[in-house]
Parts: sequence; structure tokens; C-alpha cells
Amino acid sequence: MNAAGAGSVPAANLAVLARPDSTMMQLTQAITALEKDEQARSVKVGVSSSATVDLLGTYLRKHGLLAGTRVEIVPGNYDDPIGDVALFERAGVKQMVLLPFFDTLQPAFEAQLGTLPAEAVDAREAELRLRYRLVFEQARAMDAIYLGTFHRMGGPSDAGADDPVAQALARFNGALREEAAPFANIRVIDSEDIVAAVGRNAAFDARFYFRSKAPYSGAYMNELARRIAAAARGFGAHFYKVLVLDCDNTLWGGVIGEDLIGGIKLGPHDYPGNIFWRVQHELAGLERQGVVLCLCTKNNPADVDDVLRAHPDMVLRDERIVLKKINWDDKVSNLRAIAAELNVGLDSIVFLDDSAFECEAVRQQLPMVKTIQVPAALPDYPRVVQELKQLFLAGGIAADSRGKTGQYKQRAGAEQLKAQFNTQEAYLASLELKVELSRNAGASIGRISELSQKSNQFNLTTTRYSIADVEQMMGGDSHAVYSLTVADKFGPAGLTGVAVMRYDGAVAHVDNFLMSCRVIGRGVETVIWGRIAADAVARGCTELRAAFVPSAKNAQVADFYDRLGLPLLAESAEGVRRYAIAAADFAAPPHSWIEITYAQ
Amino acid sequence: MLNEDTLKHVMATMLNVDVSAIGPDASMDTIANWDSLRHMNLVLALEEEFKVQIPDEDAGNITSYKLIKLVLDDLLAQHRG
Repeated sequence: MNAAGAGSVPAANLAVLARPDSTMMQLTQAITALEKDEQARSVKVGVSSSATVDLLGTYLRKHGLLAGTRVEIVPGNYDDPIGDVALFERAGVKQMVLLPFFDTLQPAFEAQLGTLPAEAVDAREAELRLRYRLVFEQARAMDAIYLGTFHRMGGPSDAGADDPVAQALARFNGALREEAAPFANIRVIDSEDIVAAVGRNAAFDARFYFRSKAPYSGAYMNELARRIAAAARGFGAHFYKVLVLDCDNTLWGGVIGEDLIGGIKLGPHDYPGNIFWRVQHELAGLERQGVVLCLCTKNNPADVDDVLRAHPDMVLRDERIVLKKINWDDKVSNLRAIAAELNVGLDSIVFLDDSAFECEAVRQQLPMVKTIQVPAALPDYPRVVQELKQLFLAGGIAADSRGKTGQYKQRAGAEQLKAQFNTQEAYLASLELKVELSRNAGASIGRISELSQKSNQFNLTTTRYSIADVEQMMGGDSHAVYSLTVADKFGPAGLTGVAVMRYDGAVAHVDNFLMSCRVIGRGVETVIWGRIAADAVARGCTELRAAFVPSAKNAQVADFYDRLGLPLLAESAEGVRRYAIAAADFAAPPHSWIEITYAQ
Repeated sequence: MLNEDTLKHVMATMLNVDVSAIGPDASMDTIANWDSLRHMNLVLALEEEFKVQIPDEDAGNITSYKLIKLVLDDLLAQHRG
């Protein structure tokens, strides 16, 4: 993040980037100046297209800088996606934008479609599938591919909008999506929706299309770049998991403490209650997709609980809310408490409140929290919520992330149960914990990579693995990737731990071990090591080695290997701790309360 | 009347060269940075800064300082007339 305060030159330049009406001159000057300043991150992005899209580079750099990232553009060649992938890899590019273009599939393809024989269109589709399958295969090592779908340039002359172009477009986009589906590193960007959002007349500039095959206007490129930056989560700037909601004038109109349950505005039919009701449905949809919802409101707990339970039109009832901070403490303290209780960083929290005062206080004291204010003009509220949703969903959410509320609630429920048992062991036994340990589980590659990207606190070396990394390690003989799923009597917690082993002659190294924080403290993290060590012995290893590499966030596992019973070999000045033990001497602590099964 | 200082400033910024490099003889041939991509951005910037619409047939052809000045003078005169 840029440390400069308001009124400084960098802040003024960022303001130029944020303004929708900045001219190309102003953008160019601001971008050039900001790229000379210190930025939090730097990332290379390859751009491959079957049209000329150089202008996209300017806007990717703009949206990168707005997220604190310097984006270095590596341009591909015209209509050579296969060659571009090789070119990008040589240049060290890990993220690429791939923009096939409909009208250049054959010269003036849109105009030709009315007369092309069906076989010719079939053949073009077959070629397209083969070509992009090959591109996707070769780009497996990319962390992310942002794939734009096809769109048309000219509007349909048929009022029913079902002309030959529309039919071919639907078919070719279907083919593209189908070919992309098996690749977890591909994020599809809907180009037709960008044309619709920008407006067909404003999206294209015919002058440069016929001359240089450059079809797009700055307005289109700006919106495309904005969506790519959102899908890339600000090029690594954020990964939001938790949405903290105020109540009065955020979830309903009015103040519950004054208007009482019959007086607040909330319902499907009447203004303004219909806006809040609509917003609640949107937020409930987010919860279904895996976003953790919490309440943080200055009220009497009984009043708010009453609305959650008894208001006939309340959508967000208790079971959708993981944590409630209903008290008269300041929001900053409550947000800190929520982060601590959920075991997440403050930078993974989005905070929604109607009060300018509260929003400003949080922005100033907790700048890492993404704070969004309910707009004063209520009809704008659904649009603001759409933007909020994009913060969570634009990057795509792996299937296993869904239903997180249930999982976090299980954890919260388990915390309460904990109080009733005399011994930790009796409590753990009552949970009926089941762990399934898998070796090289190909079906979980996406989730394994995602967990390695997201886990900060329980992460022994903070080595991140891309999908391609995991695939490669699973496929080769020198590594093994263990993953574990945990379930208890309250339900499954999903895939929550990953251990990566590297075998080097007689030595088995733990390359990294990481877990989702929501299952820690039940012995799961130690019970798996007996089997992993046995596997290493079976392939001829006689020594186990492991290391802890400190990061800003992983202090809680600094002594993990000590707890596992490994002797400390050395500790460097930077705090890197190295451990080694003869395989014959290693015995994982037994946990009678965990039922463990293995899957190869 | 066309403000030539503004024109030089726009060209220098968009072509990423020093203002002193934009003399009356500046053209795509004399300025290495002036490639087809920068040219496109330059045309868009000129349109915004001078609030004109450069016609299709001119947009690709105005590849020297003199030609740009000629077309802009023409457009600005029409504007007033």
C-alpha cells in the first residue's frame, strides 16, 4: 500500500486513476509517475489476443496501481496463443490474459456467417476446439489465465436477435467454455457482458479495426481491465473471506431500538423495505457461496435477536450468521475480536455500515479492512452490493469453499461444547473425529492449491503451490502430496490440510505442511505423521527432515515440530528452525479419539 | 488557433519522449518510440485534449508533427465556423 497521505503527489495520481473521466493524457502521466514510486507488489501479465489489444496494457497497469500493484505487460504476438504461451513462460509470466476474437476467426467472420455452408462452420468450431485445448494444455503451469469469451461487434439486424451470428456465437462460446472447464487455472471473463455494460456504440472504434485490427475503445478496455483485476483479486492484493454487517439502516430501514420490530422497514413489496429485503437476499447468496457473515452493531442483543428470530421478512436468520457482536463497544474493537475468534487476518474482512462516522473510524484505525458505506441514496444500494459481491466472487470460489458457514459454526458450536467436558480428551472423543488421509489425490488439486495460497497462520514454510506445481509433484516420483479431510459428528469440514513431501535418496523432507485454522487443536495435525513416515520408510528413506520458516503470520506453529517430537538441529539468525530424526526413532503421538483412514 | 505548446506536450507525453524532441520535422520516421500502438493512444489523446473527432481517413495517416498540425488546424477552424 502506498504510504503517502492525502494531498501528496502519489495520492493525487491515484485520484486521477480512480476518476472515470480522466483523459488518456492524464492517465498516461499518472501511471508513468506512479510506476516510478514504490509499489507493494509487482507482477508480469502476458496478453495474448487474436485482435490488436495493446491499449489493454494501459488499463491493466491503471487497475493494478489502484490495487497497489505494478503490472508489467508482456505482449504476445497477433493471433498466436500457442506461441505466446511459450513466449510468456520464457519471460517468467505466471498470469496471462487470453482474448480470442470472433470476427477474425476468418476474415469478416460475422459478415460471412450468413452465407458460409454449415460444414465450414463445423470445421471452424473443430479447429477452434483443438487449438484452444492445446493452448490450455500448454498453459497448465500458469497460475491464472483470464479467458475472454467471444462477442459480436455488429448488432443483430433480426429483431429477435437470433441471426446466424448469434447462433454461431452461442455455439463457439459453448465450445470455448467446454474446453476450458477441465482447467482449474482458467477464469472466464464474459465479453458480451462487457459490451452490454459499456454500450455497443461506445465499446468499439472502427477506425483502428480495419486498419490495424484494433477493435476496442478505451471505455471497453478500461472495463475489461477492471474485471480482470477483480478476478485476479487485485493481482494478489486481497483474498476476502468474511463480511461483517451493521444492522440498523444496513440490513433494514430504521433503528430497532427506537422503531421496534414492527416499525423497521423490511419486506418484499414496499419502498424502502424492499431495497433492504433485496440486499439481504444478495447477502444470503454470498453466504451460500462460502462467504462468512458476521454482525457488528451497537444495539441491545435482545432487540437484534428478536428481529433475526421473529421478523416475518428477515432473510438473514441466525443459522446464516457465524458470529454476532451486538454490544456498545466501538466497531474497531469488535472487528479485531471477530478476526481473532475466526482466526482470520483483518485483511480478509469486508465491513458494511451505513454510518459515515463508523466507516471513517474503521478506515483510519484498520485500513487493512475493506470498508464499504451504504449509499445515502437508497436506490444505489443494490449496485453497491453488486460491487461488494465482486470482491468475494470475481476470483471464483473453489467448490469446497461453499458452505463455510456450517463449518465455522461447527467450530463455534464445538467451542461451546468444550466448556462442558472435564478433560480435553473426553471432549475430543465426543466429537467422533474422522480423518481421511489421501496421497496424491488428483481430484483435489484445485482445493490443495487454493489452501496453500490462503493459509497464513498454520503454514510451516509459507511455500505457495500453483495448480501446476501440485499436478507436477503428484505426477513425479520425487514428491508426494498428502491431503486430509476432516469430519466430526457435526458434519464434514472438507479438505483442511496439506503436507508436501520431497524424497532425496535416504532423506524424506517435509517441503511444507499447512492447515486451515478451523480444525486446529484437536490432534489432527499430529495424527497423520505416522502414516507419512511409514510411507517414506517403505520407499527406503531412513531419515526425516523438516523446517519451520518464520513469516509475519505463522508464529503459532514455530514449535510445531518440537511438539511432534523432532529434535532441533539448528536455528538460523532469521529464525529458520531445522529438524531431523532417524525414521526408526520417530513415533507420531497416538490419538485414540481420532479414527483415521487412508486413501491412495 | 492551435496551441502548439499543448500539442508538443501531448505528443511528448504519449510518445514518452522529451518535449525538445518534438520539432517541426518530428515524425514516425525520426522518433523511435512512435510505433503503431503509441500512435493509436496519441490519436485518442489528441481527440480528448483538443475536443475534436479525427476522421477515419486521417487517423492512421497523421504520422508527423506537420500532418497532425494541419489536420488539427482544419478541425478547429470548422469548430469555430
